[in-house]
Amino acid sequence: MSELAGAPIVEVHDLVREYRMGNETVAALKGVSFTVRQGEYAAIVGPSGCGKSTLLNLIGVIDRPTRGTVSIAGERVDQLGDARATDFRLRRIGFVFQRFYLMPALSARENIELPLAEAGVKKSARRDRAMTLLEYVGLARRERHRPSQLSGGEQQRVAIARALANSPSLLLADEPTGELDARTGAEMIALFARLNGDGTTIVVVTHDEVLARATKRVIHMRDGSIVDHGTAG
Amino acid sequence: MHVLLVFLALPGLAPAALGAQGGASPRTIAIDERLAADAGLRLGDRLSLTATPGVAGDSVVIGAIVRRRADPAEIARGEYRVRLHLTSLQSLLGYGDRVDRFAVATRSSAATGAAIARINDAAFGFRAHRSADIAVETSTTFAVVSRFHRAIGVITIVASAIFLLCIMLLKVEERRRDVAALRLMGISAPTIVRSVVLEAACVAVLGSIAGVGVGGAASWFVNRHYQAVYRTPLRFSLVTGDIVLLAVLLSLGLGIVAGWLAARRLVRTPPLALFGR
Repeated sequence: MSELAGAPIVEVHDLVREYRMGNETVAALKGVSFTVRQGEYAAIVGPSGCGKSTLLNLIGVIDRPTRGTVSIAGERVDQLGDARATDFRLRRIGFVFQRFYLMPALSARENIELPLAEAGVKKSARRDRAMTLLEYVGLARRERHRPSQLSGGEQQRVAIARALANSPSLLLADEPTGELDARTGAEMIALFARLNGDGTTIVVVTHDEVLARATKRVIHMRDGSIVDHGTAG
Repeated sequence: MHVLLVFLALPGLAPAALGAQGGASPRTIAIDERLAADAGLRLGDRLSLTATPGVAGDSVVIGAIVRRRADPAEIARGEYRVRLHLTSLQSLLGYGDRVDRFAVATRSSAATGAAIARINDAAFGFRAHRSADIAVETSTTFAVVSRFHRAIGVITIVASAIFLLCIMLLKVEERRRDVAALRLMGISAPTIVRSVVLEAACVAVLGSIAGVGVGGAASWFVNRHYQAVYRTPLRFSLVTGDIVLLAVLLSLGLGIVAGWLAARRLVRTPPLALFGR
């Protein structure tokens, strides 16, 4: 791990997640422990069904573990109730999805303003922040465009800007290049690298080897366990 | 002071029987607009009144053309109406001073009671009634039809409510993944419910306004068509302010309830389940 890495942002200890499938109990995660420090750019890779999305859901406070603990920026989040977990996600975690999930009726700028509005940011400040982020992702001229008027790469850039709206401690991305062609995927990889270079802590789950190679640390999973913790670059 | 008016229906009265005649100071008659239109008669035309075609009768002048009343009881009647002075009527019918029915118009409702009492006391064999009482007795058919209409309206509203609820549920179900993404982004359940309910309310109000517009246009066509068919000023279909208000409020209420139920169901589902995981 790099000596330059900062304080722990993600601390996962002995994490177990089991699902009931009829009379059977299936363990999606079998005692996973690892730490991601501030400023890291980590990829979680592994074959389908190895538990990487389950791990991302637990880090993202979307799901609760069967056992074990998850701390984000020093706060235990593994047993938060629905309302507190929602608020935590709003303020501390940014999500980037494979399929963007922008609101079709809203413009690019309004999509970015959405989490800011929920956080109680005033209108003028929301607009300024959204425009700053649109400029950051290179879409300032597309602020009034609706998702249907944007290309896949542009939609994903808006989604990234939306994820960054409330200045989260951690940016989580689930197959962020999965819906993009190779050229647009490369642009997205460059954007993630720039984000990380500017201090954003990023954890991506991906099958994309190009994206994984572009990160500073690759965590390998197999059958619900981490088989290689990777080395922070 | 009372004004005595006697109405006579003459179903067999043909235009051929109404030949123009000369003579001094003929009496006037009033005919209804349907007879005027069919016989090509105008104000001031001179006619001969006779019960037997081809036989000379009393010469009269058309003094008024009366617009037919918007009376549902008269819709199916193809008869013409002629108002004439009582003496002319007596002469025409050869009844002398015998009458079967007559109507008395009073200047005020207060005078009606006194008029009824006086007629009942003075005219043996006659029984006077208020026109309102007769209207109630003769309008039972329309009351039944009105109840049918009300029942159809209630069924329509119930069916529309179920339809609206299904539409809202389907619309919200279409957004499972969007709602899941919003929840993952940290948008709270109350915010999502509020936005869905607001959208449902807007859709309901716009829908009801569109419905009122369609209803108004349909009503206009129905009235035009049946007024022409039955040659009556009667309005067959009404879209009143009360109906519009009821439609908008009902639609708004149903929309809010449907939106709330659909949204509540959605936000109670865990986001990962909404994503199908």
